[in-house]
Amino acid sequence: MTSFQRWAFCLTVPAALLTLCLYVLPILQVLALSFTEPTFGVGNYVALFQNAAIGRVVRTTVFVSAVTTVLTIVMSYAVAFALVHMRPATRRVALFMVMVPFWISVLVRAFAWVTILRRNGVLNSALVGSGAVSEPLELVYNQFGVIVGMVHYMMPFAIMLLYANLSEIDLRIIQAARSLGARPVTIFFRVWVPLSMPGLAIAGLFIVIFSLGFLVTPAILGAGRVLMVAEYISVQISSTLRWGVATALSTMLLLVVAILVALAMRSSALRAAFEGGRK
Amino acid sequence: MTPRSRHLLERALPTLFAWLLLAFLFVPVLVVIPVALTDRDYLSLPNNGISFDHFAALANWRAGWMASILTSLGIALASSVMATAVSAAFAIGAWVYVGRWPSILRVILLSPLIVPPIIYAVGMVRLWSKLGLLDTWLGVTIVHVILAMPLAVLAIGASLSNLDPRLVQAARSLGARPATIFGRVILPNIVPGTVAGAILAFIVSWDEITVTLFITSRGIVTLPRKIWTSIADAVDPALAAIATVMLAVTIVGLILRMTVWDRIAQRRS
Repeated sequence: MTSFQRWAFCLTVPAALLTLCLYVLPILQVLALSFTEPTFGVGNYVALFQNAAIGRVVRTTVFVSAVTTVLTIVMSYAVAFALVHMRPATRRVALFMVMVPFWISVLVRAFAWVTILRRNGVLNSALVGSGAVSEPLELVYNQFGVIVGMVHYMMPFAIMLLYANLSEIDLRIIQAARSLGARPVTIFFRVWVPLSMPGLAIAGLFIVIFSLGFLVTPAILGAGRVLMVAEYISVQISSTLRWGVATALSTMLLLVVAILVALAMRSSALRAAFEGGRK
Repeated sequence: MTPRSRHLLERALPTLFAWLLLAFLFVPVLVVIPVALTDRDYLSLPNNGISFDHFAALANWRAGWMASILTSLGIALASSVMATAVSAAFAIGAWVYVGRWPSILRVILLSPLIVPPIIYAVGMVRLWSKLGLLDTWLGVTIVHVILAMPLAVLAIGASLSNLDPRLVQAARSLGARPATIFGRVILPNIVPGTVAGAILAFIVSWDEITVTLFITSRGIVTLPRKIWTSIADAVDPALAAIATVMLAVTIVGLILRMTVWDRIAQRRS
């Protein structure tokens, strides 16, 4: 190793120490605690599968995450597809409308949805006031509200991933399809959609992972009535102090995320994004 | 089907659908503005005219909003500076030192982007309570540095991938010492990426809630934590006022990003 290379190696050391000691180690400790707290063994995992309350939490999490992912992907694809076809000036306006919710704090967004969807909120006032409904609708503090908030949170991510993917598609392929007489609907389903499969897969993966471990929006818009895994873990470590259950659930969550990422790493696009370095 | 109705079905309807979805993204966020201007003292739309009382309430020191803004600013500045320094060092080191070690480390370093923060929160509560760092400035800042590093590394790495390695070879062949190469050849060439990394790191820390929620209690009240507590109470329109201020800052920042930044980038290239 030359002195220059030694210097370069040393530059990576502070980041390595920080992440290993203060990120990797605490997470490994979570894994370890799930087997030792309160007693040594796999008791916590047995409890996970026997406890009816945890079963309900897991089912809610999987259901809400699945619905969120499907809705987000379909709706984001529609937006990304329209973005690709817009004139540059119009596209700037549309992108602005995507970026504002993207950058605004997740808390502000959840709060805005509470204001809109609550029993005497903006939407219900309008609906009752106009006589469209006689009784205010139950729009929040249930799965509906949580899913609305989560889709709203996830869409900007998905739109940006899909837009990047769609704008790389060679438009000459589309022209070729058109000149061969394909109708727009055919072109959409048989050319655009197959060509954007890598983007769809990556966006879907990110949204599933974000949804499964999401704390803030489900907690605020569910208000304890739509209990998902992250909020359940948070209750275990801050009020009931059942560390064994909390760490075992965290481990399972981490395992699911790892499996999903491992599956996705078989796609070369994502691998490139992660390993990066020199082009 | 007439050509007209076909055009309607194949072009106009999808476009309309896309704009409705864009409205779904954009308009709900704006609702905090009228609520902040309400003349009543609970969350509602303005009844008889608008009032700026709730903005005035933000400035009242005893309400705690100013204190939490300053807390968040302090922590975000400190963690942004540290995260940027460590990430820039790492990114440059990994760019020069090609091998297995940096690419493994890079995956670990970027993992907070994917690993659910609640898992990290569980780990940090445990570690900080053992080390007595719960609810301290240092404890929060360190966690924010860790969480801000991935985006800083990505931004600086993007800048580096545009840098010509022959520049470094030229400097070495002319006899420049390593410190000179890192400080005076590489670093000046990645300033835009580093600035972008610092801004992203600042935003990550400024917005962080999930982990902060568990490692702080009464001592360190960051702005997100204060908002979180207020949403649980869900009555005070001051919440809408602070949300409006944050929305305004975001919009101004974005407009600057879309105009000034692009112009600087154009001038450089």
